[in-house]
This record gives sequence, structure tokens and C-alpha cells, in this order.
Amino acid sequence: MYLTPEEERMYAGEEGAGVQTAMELLVTLGDFYDAPRLIKITSAHASARPYKHGKEYKVQWLQDLVDGEACFRVLTTVNPGQVDFEQWKKMGLPEDLVEKQEMADAPLMKLGAIPIGTCLPYLHGNLPRFGEHFSWGGSSGQIFANSVLGARGNRDGAPLVIAEAITGRTPEYGLHLAENRKGQVLIDTSQLDFDKISRADYLALGYYLGRLLLDKIPVFPNLPKNISQEELRALTAAMPAGGAVTLCHVVGVTPEAPTLEAAFGGKSPEEKISITPAEIRKGYEMLTKASTNIVDVVVFGCPHCSLPFVMQIARMLEGKKVNSSVRLWIATSKHIQSLARQMGLAEIIERAGGLILSDVCVGPGASFELMEGVRTVATSDARGAHYIPSISKVGLIFGNVSDCINAAITGRWGG
Amino acid sequence: MRKILIKGRSIFKGVGEGEALVSKQAISFLGGVDPDTGLMIEKGHELEGENVTGKVLIFPGGKGSTAGSYIIYALARKGTAPKAMINLVAEPIIATGAVMGKIPLMDRLEQNPLEVIQKGDWVRVDGARGIVEVTKMAPLD
Repeated sequence: MYLTPEEERMYAGEEGAGVQTAMELLVTLGDFYDAPRLIKITSAHASARPYKHGKEYKVQWLQDLVDGEACFRVLTTVNPGQVDFEQWKKMGLPEDLVEKQEMADAPLMKLGAIPIGTCLPYLHGNLPRFGEHFSWGGSSGQIFANSVLGARGNRDGAPLVIAEAITGRTPEYGLHLAENRKGQVLIDTSQLDFDKISRADYLALGYYLGRLLLDKIPVFPNLPKNISQEELRALTAAMPAGGAVTLCHVVGVTPEAPTLEAAFGGKSPEEKISITPAEIRKGYEMLTKASTNIVDVVVFGCPHCSLPFVMQIARMLEGKKVNSSVRLWIATSKHIQSLARQMGLAEIIERAGGLILSDVCVGPGASFELMEGVRTVATSDARGAHYIPSISKVGLIFGNVSDCINAAITGRWGG
Repeated sequence: MRKILIKGRSIFKGVGEGEALVSKQAISFLGGVDPDTGLMIEKGHELEGENVTGKVLIFPGGKGSTAGSYIIYALARKGTAPKAMINLVAEPIIATGAVMGKIPLMDRLEQNPLEVIQKGDWVRVDGARGIVEVTKMAPLD
């Protein structure tokens, strides 16, 4: 791999042992991917926070970087961790987890991370522009930034993102290159009646497609012109959980895809897939893994809930009472949590018996196995539905938002 | 004893040698290897109960969580790591862990290492030159 004179100095350790370690990782993985050189990034987002991912070994690695005088040299925000520091007791989490999460956070703060504590960096001041290069951990953010913002980033793992944030660079390969961003599979949704397609339907569709496509690049030529940001998030969020899709083209939305021809870069589709309500139903079936309809937890927030979604949930909870045997969690950022409190939404949610949480991952960093008596979780988030059963060893029911709220009130799915 | 030299691709370019430990199954380091002891702990894995410490670990590639990279790093920090690793085709979890722990790693060998190398053979992984040197310990059939 070609390195500039400045990069050679970084690689040789002239900017400290931490930068050298980061460069070793970039150069080795760059060679591994046949990247010809490194390119500069404008934005980083580290998914390294949950203590359970790497535990004390990760903390040690990050601390070694701090001791090696490294710091983040581009804007670097961080994902949620495992606890809401104000409400962990109400969540039913053990106290030692709070200490462990603080331990995991300390070196990240020393490296210069901005603790937005959410997987929605683009709603919290970390917004790469069309054509800019980013290094983000967290696959729901990666696909949103590629597909909706038109910025360019790969499916990088957590340690690589740390190295990229420290050096401000990434190996030039994969989705950083225009030739690798062309659409591959045409997704025909013309048979769907979008007036009847819910948020959960978009998520189930994305999950189904992820399982089918693995890392291919799908193109959606006929989604509604007025598709909302919430719906785009739902469409994209579960694709990289079901598979490894990291870019999709929504014609008319994705900056690189003003037309169908532009989306495919002048090539013809390798394959065409027609979506009917039956395929969406398959997505629902793939996600539900429960042996009982008794629900212990209802959770929203993988990816984190946006403010409009929190407003929708609060409206549905107004005047209702969550069953005493059920925990209802709404996971979001500190910023949105604070706005929700000021707007009176938090009070509605709490009066109903729910919690609005910040800083907490309820997907790949979920901690339900550490709480007593949680056997079955219900959610309308397909990403969470994918991760929670394997991460927390619990049953899972996936369904739409109103069915989830109903389960929170009755304590039973469909009851 | 006989020696076999096999060329391959170096991913982390150090040199390490030790007794071969061979798995035909992929390895998930997170949940599969105990960093305190180096023991293989994945239930039902063909290497369950074996210890990777000081060995040259030969396996098809990684699987499972990307946090597996941190476990490879932990093995290196605790002195329980393999001396070197050989994959059929490495993937990012193992490659990242190898760099973090500075463990020599090679892949894409000219001969299938899972067939040529047997448990107990002495293996020298020379990542700098891109050569694996196998000293067969098992008697010829």
C-alpha cells in the first residue's frame, strides 16, 4: 500500500505508539483488501461502547491507545452502552454493570469521543455530506449514511473504526470507490399498496431482503416519492442485520440514484425480485422466536427511537396502563430524552408505567439476560428482534407498534 | 522427519513457530476461547478442551462476533496466545485480532494446510517472507 510521507511517519511511530498501532491496523487490513492507499475521512462513529463487547480486554486495548498518546483527529461520536446512568436501578440492572460501563467509557472519553450515546449520529451533529468518506461502527448507521446521505463508508468492525478515528484515514476499498457502489438487484415493489404498509412492514421487508441478498446492493425504483425519514430508517435498518447489505439505492432519494439508470450505473440488474405482502409476512415469521405469548418486556429502540417515533408511542400510551408484569422501554439519545421530558412526553410514558431511556443499546448490546424474570421480549424493531434472542438468550416476538403497545398493557401477545 | 515449504499470503508479517493445532472447523474467539487459559471452550467444537497457547493454530477462518478480535488481543496480552495462525482464507475478525495482538497470520497457502499439516507437526510461520515451514513429526504411513 502507498503511504504519503506523513503517513510513513505515523506508521513509524513518530506520532506516538497509539497512532502507530492504529496505522498498523489500517495498513494490514488495507493490504488484506488490496487497497492502493489510505484516504481521509471527515466523520467517525465508534460502536465500541457496550462493556459486554470485548469486556476488560477491549478496555485494555483502548487504554493502551490512550497511554500511547493517541486521540481522535476527526469528529467522533459514540454509540449507546449498556446502562442509563440515571435509571439503571429502575431497569433492574446490577450495580456492577454501571461500574463496568464507566470503565469501558473512560478511555473513549480520553480519546476525545463525543458521548451522544446513540446509534443515530446523523441526528446528533455527525452528518457527513454527499460524497464524503466516513468510518462508522453500527450497521444501521452505515447503511443510512451510504443510502440516504450518499456519503461513503464500509461495514467496518469496531476496532478498525477506532484506528480510523485516530488516524483520520481509511483504506480505500469497497464502498469508498464509485465502481463498487452500483446497484446489483432490482427490487420491484409495485405490487404493494403503500397506504397499508406500516413501519414494521418496512422493517420486516428489509430483514427479509437482507437474508436473501447478503451483501448485494439492492435498488428500489418504485417506493413512494414522499417516503419519510422514519420509513427510510425502517427500510434500511434491518437489511444489514439479516445480511450484510451496507448500501441500497432508493431511486429519487439516494443522491447517486436520481434515476433507475444512474442507480445501476448503466449496467443491467443481475437479478430482479418482486415483493408482495407474502414476502413481508416471511420477514415477520423469520423474526419471531418465542414459545409463549406471555410477554415480560416490550422494547422500542433498535435503532434508537427518533423524536417523531417517541411522540407516536407517547400518543398511543396516553391514559393507558402498562401491565404490572411487563417492563416497557423506549430507548433513545440523551438529547431526545431531554426534549421528550420538556415536551411532556416522558411524563405520559412514565405515568403509563414505561421508561424512556438514554445511553442504552437494546440490540447487539442488549442486557436482558442480566435482569430477573425476562423470558420473552416483544418489539417492533426488526434489528432488535434479530439480535436480542442470540445476545440475551430470550424468546422474541416481532410485530407492529400497536400490537406491541397492546402486549405491554395486557401482558400477552394478541391478548 | 521431513520438511515441507509452502508459500502463502502474509497478513501480519511476524515470525512464529510451534506445535501445530489443526481444526477443520471455523473458530469464534468470542465464546470459543478462554483468554485466561487459552483453552478452547466452545461446546461441541472439534478442538474443545485443547489449548491454543504457544501453538501454531491452523483453521479455515473466523466466525461469530467481531468482538472476537478483542479476545485475540487479550490472549496476546495475557501470554496465552498461539505463536502464529494459518487460515484457508482469513476474514476481518481474525486479521484485526492478529494485528492487535501482533500474532503472525498467513492465509491462501499454495497447498491446503488442513490436509498437509497434522496435529503435533512443528510449524514455522515466516510472515516476513510469506513461507510456512512444516516439519512432519508423525511417522509416514
